[in-house]
Amino acid sequence: MAEELQVGFVGNPNCGKTTLFNAYTGARLKVANWPGVTVEKKEGAMKYHDHVFKLVDLPGIYSLTSYTMEEKLTRQYILESDVDVIIDVADASALERNLYLTLQLIELGKPVILALNMMDIVEERGMEIDMHRLPEMLGIPVIPVSARKRTGLDILMHAVAHHKDKRKDNNLEHHHPEKEASRHRHEHHDEYTVVYSDEIEDKIDAIILRLRSDGKVKTKNYRWYALKLLEKDEEITAECGLDLSDIIDRSYETDIINQKYDFIEEIIEECLVNKNKKAAVTDRIDRWLTGNVTGLPCFLLIMAVVFFFTFTVGDWLKGYFEAALDQVNAAVSAGLEALGAGEVLQSLIVDGIISGVGGVLTFLPNIFILFLALALLEDSGYMSRVAYVMDSLMSKLGLSGRAFIPMILGFGCTVPAVMASRALEDPKDRRRTVLVTPFMSCSARLPVYVLFAEMFFGSAAMPAAFSMYVIGMAVAILAAFLMHKVDRSGGMNPLLIELPEYKTPNTRTIAIYVWDKVKDYLTKAGTTIFVASIFIWFLLNFGTEGMTQDMSASFGASIGRVLAPLLAPAGLGMWQIALALISGLAAKEVVVSSFAVLFGISNINSAAGMTGLAEILAGYGFGALNAYCLMIFCLLYVPCIATLAMIHRELKSWKWTGVSVLLQLGCAWLVSTLVFQIGSLF
Amino acid sequence: MTLRDGEKGKGYRVLDVSLGRAAKIRLEALGMTNGTTVFIMNKKRNGSMVVKVRGTRFAFGSGIAGAVAVEERRED
Repeated sequence: MAEELQVGFVGNPNCGKTTLFNAYTGARLKVANWPGVTVEKKEGAMKYHDHVFKLVDLPGIYSLTSYTMEEKLTRQYILESDVDVIIDVADASALERNLYLTLQLIELGKPVILALNMMDIVEERGMEIDMHRLPEMLGIPVIPVSARKRTGLDILMHAVAHHKDKRKDNNLEHHHPEKEASRHRHEHHDEYTVVYSDEIEDKIDAIILRLRSDGKVKTKNYRWYALKLLEKDEEITAECGLDLSDIIDRSYETDIINQKYDFIEEIIEECLVNKNKKAAVTDRIDRWLTGNVTGLPCFLLIMAVVFFFTFTVGDWLKGYFEAALDQVNAAVSAGLEALGAGEVLQSLIVDGIISGVGGVLTFLPNIFILFLALALLEDSGYMSRVAYVMDSLMSKLGLSGRAFIPMILGFGCTVPAVMASRALEDPKDRRRTVLVTPFMSCSARLPVYVLFAEMFFGSAAMPAAFSMYVIGMAVAILAAFLMHKVDRSGGMNPLLIELPEYKTPNTRTIAIYVWDKVKDYLTKAGTTIFVASIFIWFLLNFGTEGMTQDMSASFGASIGRVLAPLLAPAGLGMWQIALALISGLAAKEVVVSSFAVLFGISNINSAAGMTGLAEILAGYGFGALNAYCLMIFCLLYVPCIATLAMIHRELKSWKWTGVSVLLQLGCAWLVSTLVFQIGSLF
Repeated sequence: MTLRDGEKGKGYRVLDVSLGRAAKIRLEALGMTNGTTVFIMNKKRNGSMVVKVRGTRFAFGSGIAGAVAVEERRED
C-alpha cells in the first residue's frame, strides 16, 4: 500500500510559496502579493513514486508568534496536526529576512526542509549562496528551486520522502570562535541550530527541569516550551500553569529575536557571496512608481489604461458574443417551434432564460480583461505600492494606505475586496474600510453602465461609464472622511507593508487566478442569474389571473408600483425600474437581464436591441438624464446578497451590516436624486 | 531622533522601538532589531516612507516611523 505523507508549505508572503504549491498540485488557488491571501487552508495531492503526498498550503507569515490570526493558525497546525514534513519556502533573494521564520520552524521540532526559491533572481544579481555551508549551519536539507521555471521540483519531493523520519539532523556544524571560550555547563552547538546566550540557556535548562518534574506538559520538545515561556507567550503560559516567576523575571522576547538575528547575520556572512553586487532593478522602477511627484500620476495612468482595455477590447470581443447569442436564440426558437413546444415553455426559455442568462454572459470579455489586469498588477508586485502612493490621501481620511488595496480590489468584485480588509490590524479601520468598499464599482455593475451609456450617450459612452468609477471613489472617500470626522480616534498612521521585488508576472499564476474568477462568473450566470431570470419571468408573466400577456397586470408590476413613487425624485419612478432594481439584489448583472425580460427584448446588447429599448423607454419620458441617474443608483445601492453576507461575516455584527445597507441605499437615493433635480433645471 | 526625522538616501541605526508589544515584536521579527541599519529610500512630506531593512523594502506610515528611535549611521 502506498504510504501517505502530509506536507505543509510555510513561508513569508511574496516568497512564491503558492506558485510552488501550484506547480505541484495545479490547484486553482489565488496567488497574490497581498499578505494573508491564502488564509484558508488549501490542500492538494500528488504522487511521488510509492508515496502519496497530501500538500497543505498555509498562509504567508513572517514569524510564528501568536499575535496574528495567520501565525496562530500556522503554529497550531504544525504543533497539533499530523504533518510529517514542513517545506519552508524562502525567497533566496531576501534570505536574511526569510531565515528568521526558518529558525522558528526548526525550533518547533518537526522535520523541516528549506526550499530556496527564486534562485534565478539570485544568479541574475550575481550573488552566490554556499549550498554546502548553509545546510551545515541550519542542520536541515536545503534545496534550490525555481517555482516559476519549475526547476528543482523533483529533488525537493525526493528530500521530503527521505527526510520525513529525521527529527534532528546531526550534521550541525558551528564555528563560534568567540563563543568557544564560553564556560556554559552545556555545549549545545551540536544539538540545536540556534544557541542563545548563557543567561538564556541557563534559564531554558532550569525551566525544562521544572516542566519535567511537574509532568503536566506532555511534549517531546521542552526546549520550545521553555523558549515560549521566556517570551511570555500568552497561550503557552496559560497552558503550562506553573509559577516560574523566580526564573522568568521579565519577557525575553526581544532578546530571543535579537539573538536569532545575530545568528542569521553569521549565516549570511558565511554563506552569501557578493551581496548587493548589482543594484536591484526594483529601485530604479520605484523611483518612478513611488516617487513623490510621479507616483500618483503613474497610478492614475495605470488605472486609465486598465479601464481603456476593459472597455475597448472588451467591447470588441463582446460583439462576437452577441452575434453568437443571436444565432443561439434563433436556433432555439426554431427548434422549439419544430418540436411543437407550448407557449409557456417557449416564453420561459426564450424570454426568460436565454435573454436573462445570455444577456449577462455577453459581458464575459469585459470581466475577463478587468480581472486579467488586476491579476497582473498583483502578481507584478505593484499592488502594495498603491498602499504607499495613496497613503497621504488615505491618512487624511483617518485610514491607513493599506485600506486602499481592498478598495482597488473592489473594482473586480466586492466580495473578496471586503474579505481583503482583514489585513488591516485596527478593528475601526477595518470597519470603515468594509463600509466604504462597496462604493467601488465592481465588475458586475459594468454591464449596467455599458448598456445605458451606449444607449443614451453615443460617442460619450466611455466617459459616461468611466465617470461612474470616479463618482464611486468620490463617494467612498467622502463617506470615509465623514466617518473619520464623526469618530475622531487614532491619528497615528500605522501603515506597514512589504514592497516586494518587481517581477514578470507568471503565466500559470495569472491563468489560475483569472480562470478562477471567470469560473465564478459563469457559475453565477448558471445559478443565481438563471434562477433570478426564471423568477423575474414568472413575476412578469403571471398575475392574480394566472398567466397574462399584459405585463402591467402581473405580480411584478404590483410590487414595482408600490416602490416607484419613492424613486420618482431620482427620475426613476417607473414600476419596471423599481422591479429591475430589486432583482439586482441577486446580482447586479440581473438589472440588465431584467430590462431585457421586462421590455421583451431578446438580445439587449445588439444594436437593434438597444434601439428598441431606447425607443420604448423614450415613450415613458426616460432620457439621458434618467439613464445617468439609473447608473448612479446601480453604482451606489446594495451590491448583492453575497456582499451583504460577506460584510456580516467580516464585521460579525447585525447592527453594522444594517448600517451598511442603510448607508448604501441612502447614498444611492441621495446622489441620484441630487443629480436628477439639478440636471432637470437645465 | 526618530526615523521620521531621517533624510532620504541616508542610513540609520535602530536604537529602540516604542510601540505596543505586538507591533514592536512584529517589527523586530521583520528584522528591525536594535542596531540594525535602516536605509530611507523615499520619504513623503507627511512622514510616510519607503525603507530598506536587511535587503527588504517596506512602506512605513508616519506613525510607525515616528516610533522608531534611531541615530545617524557613521560612515565607516
